[in-house]
Amino acid sequence: MHRRTRLSLRSSSINDKENDSEQTHLQTTPRKRRSKVPVAREEEEPQEECVHSPKKAARKIGRPRLSKVLDGEELENESTVAPDAIGKLPEREKEYDELVAYVENVLSSDGSGSLYISGPPGTGKTATLQRILNHPPFVKKLKPVYINCTSIKSVGSIYKKISEELDLKVSGTTEKMYQAAIEAHLQRKHKTIMLVLDEIDQLSSSKQTILYSIFEWPARPTARLVLIGIANALDLTDRLLARLQARCELKPHLIQFLPYTKQQIVAILKACLEETDSLARFPEAALGLLAAKVASTSGDIRRALFIARRLVESAKKEDRTTKSDTVVSMGQVMAVLKQVYGASQTLSNDLEEGFPLQQKLLICSLMLLLKHGKNKDITVGKLHDVYKTICTKRNIQAVDQTEFISLCTLVETRGIVRLQGKKEPRMHRVCLQWDEEEVSSSLNDKQLIASIINDVSCLGK
Amino acid sequence: ALQQAAGTPKRSIQLSNIVEEYANGRRVSRVLKLSPKKPDSGTEEPMEEPKTPKRSNRGSLAGSATKSTPKSASKMRLIRDGTIKPTIHSRDAPLGNEMNELAIARERLHVSATPASLPCREKEYEEIYNFLEGKIYDGCGGCMYISGVPGTGKTATTTAVIRALKHLSEEEHIPKFEFVDINGMRLTEPRQAYVHIHRQLTGKTLAWEQAYNLLNKRFTTKAPRRTTTVLLVDELDILCNKRQDVVYNILNWPTMPTAQLIVVTIANTMDLPERLLKGKISSRLGLTRLTFQPYNFRQLQEIVMARLVGMSSFNSDAVQLVARKVAAVSGDARRALDICRRATELADDQARKTDQSVTVSMTHVQQALTEMITSAKVRTIRSSSRMEQLFLQAVTAEVARTGIEECNFLGVYSQYESLAAFSGVSVPNPGRAMAICARLTASRILICEGGSNDIYQKILLNISTDDVHFALQASKLL
Repeated sequence: MHRRTRLSLRSSSINDKENDSEQTHLQTTPRKRRSKVPVAREEEEPQEECVHSPKKAARKIGRPRLSKVLDGEELENESTVAPDAIGKLPEREKEYDELVAYVENVLSSDGSGSLYISGPPGTGKTATLQRILNHPPFVKKLKPVYINCTSIKSVGSIYKKISEELDLKVSGTTEKMYQAAIEAHLQRKHKTIMLVLDEIDQLSSSKQTILYSIFEWPARPTARLVLIGIANALDLTDRLLARLQARCELKPHLIQFLPYTKQQIVAILKACLEETDSLARFPEAALGLLAAKVASTSGDIRRALFIARRLVESAKKEDRTTKSDTVVSMGQVMAVLKQVYGASQTLSNDLEEGFPLQQKLLICSLMLLLKHGKNKDITVGKLHDVYKTICTKRNIQAVDQTEFISLCTLVETRGIVRLQGKKEPRMHRVCLQWDEEEVSSSLNDKQLIASIINDVSCLGK
Repeated sequence: ALQQAAGTPKRSIQLSNIVEEYANGRRVSRVLKLSPKKPDSGTEEPMEEPKTPKRSNRGSLAGSATKSTPKSASKMRLIRDGTIKPTIHSRDAPLGNEMNELAIARERLHVSATPASLPCREKEYEEIYNFLEGKIYDGCGGCMYISGVPGTGKTATTTAVIRALKHLSEEEHIPKFEFVDINGMRLTEPRQAYVHIHRQLTGKTLAWEQAYNLLNKRFTTKAPRRTTTVLLVDELDILCNKRQDVVYNILNWPTMPTAQLIVVTIANTMDLPERLLKGKISSRLGLTRLTFQPYNFRQLQEIVMARLVGMSSFNSDAVQLVARKVAAVSGDARRALDICRRATELADDQARKTDQSVTVSMTHVQQALTEMITSAKVRTIRSSSRMEQLFLQAVTAEVARTGIEECNFLGVYSQYESLAAFSGVSVPNPGRAMAICARLTASRILICEGGSNDIYQKILLNISTDDVHFALQASKLL
């Protein structure tokens, strides 16, 4: 069953080009035929059909759909598939329209422009841009160039990458040559170029020469270039590229992608689930709870899709045992959310089980020093002294200093303390990372530990 | 051939041609130029001429040299293409000494002898198994982050899951998949990760840029018959450089619908994604996290006993002592196994001495524990010379007097003088005392900051004052 499903899904995309739009259409076509078709989609249909030979198209249509509902649902929920499979991005229509209007405006005036898109991770920036790149009216008029700036070797090699994407002939191999070639190309007559630089903050250097020179291209008289930069920072252009403010024609147009709100996340999840007609599996309240939690912390759609997928997986597991379609319950949602977001819960859990005794003693001595010690500047050496007095008093064998230092690093990997280093390990400063109150309250349960924390005599002096 | 060519002019130099001259008081020897007219270009040719017949005389040597270079180049090419596999010399015959029970136990207790099933990690095994199996079935990508302190079975569990899945896929219960693993510590540079991934997928060694481009092409373009790839990244924190581009790319590929890549990342730090990685990367890393807790003493006992199953050479109380000691400190299984191994070695020694079979008992374990968890510093102080001990005492006295941990040499020296007067020995002069101080610094009992400012240098104790007193009491200095 499983394999059939996967193969059938794959066969739908056998003859895909790299082009994302086609793949999008292909994946959605069969589903679309059955469900209600959005109007905007109709016009794209013939285009897609003409790309492929009739034989293949026929096979595609006649393809049996064997997938179980939950399987499909699972695929839909996967963050990798979601934006493409839906084809249009719910809740990002406004930004999409704004972008299309801007590019159309530039195209109609035959000029050039620059754009800077910002927003926190997981708000659909790249997905929207991918859609713009494949927007059918633009495909003929524009030459799209998409570069992810993390893929380049060094900051300077961006020119090489751009000229490779533009198929330019370059006489040399230095940065300057590539840059000159691109600038010469911009002078000549050419199709309008849409240059999308994803994760543009990777291009920042000490003098920002490259960012400046790239952002200056659209101001050239014959450039005909739409430059789009994508990054997380809201004020990257103001902060890194202050000089652009001086000339109005250089200033990039800013578009901001806000984190998704609760309603938007609900709408997106619903759209995903509707594709597979499995919305009934998710009660409204469960979706609402999930969305409210995600929206309140980050508004990151990857997280929301991930949690939904987790829920589907657990529902599927239950399906196998009960042999019937189960509905995702509120309890399951709560459990998954707790697992994902429950940091404070793990804290007391950690301290209770599986936490070695000596490490507990270490934290106790740190707490003692923090609570009753005069100097809050605690070094490893000092902590070790206190720890040793505590151990001898309680008749526990104390570890020696080298061992103690490795104990400190072990506690550090749990994120409880942090060691701030000078050279000598004995001189490292120990800082508590967790909330003091929280640690002492979770430690207070144990009698031994509680007595240590209040034992001022161990401090010496 | 290159070496030969470079070597030729050298041979024509004779001692008589070398003139020595004193330039700026320094002796410089140089070759006398043979041709008087053109010193720069002319030197080469007249030297070459008498050389030629000589070289033809030793034609065989030169010939072999010229042949060897392309041979090694072609060999390098074959190695890069992956047609030649690296091998190491094997023994003529396996070492055939018979093993006694203790030797067998020692072999089984070795850290490298990973058992077929890992005891006490069933829950984690199940979780990783479910994750990977689900992803392989669905043919989609995903990420998982596994954390835990060293020696808690992270890598062993993950590889065991993958081994089981590989076995299943060979019997065609689940779809086929490819497995690639990289280790951050085995890379000279984070970007070498691309090279290693590409080599494991295709067998060819390329420069990292090419490897990256090919991998990017592989994961971003659609291929109908692509199988899932499972990528295991060990020591993720080493791959994080300032730009974090390698981590970004590795975690970005699974989000592509075309990649079918499952990335399992392993690191020690629990909160690495929040502490070290940028927001956009931890967003891609997702929320599938798994933490391996350190073993408690029961689990450690079970692990050791599982390795020794069917053997009577180990006292079970001895195992429990090891487990309790290790679980109290770190919960590191490697450490417990190492201590047990050491205890068997000690027992073996005793058996050889007394010529009768010995089981590993509490005393052996106790001995091994003191060997492993003992402080070498106290012993160092005890065995150091009298003057050094006196100097250390002076440092502690100075620390006690000032109340500050850091003291300077002058203060220590004055304490030293009075202590020496007490014990009736003559004081070494400050230069000598500094040599003593330097020696103690070299053995890391003291820390000296800045050796250049002689008597004003700062001195710090690298061990606690109690240790010093404890060590010196034994030597009857106090």
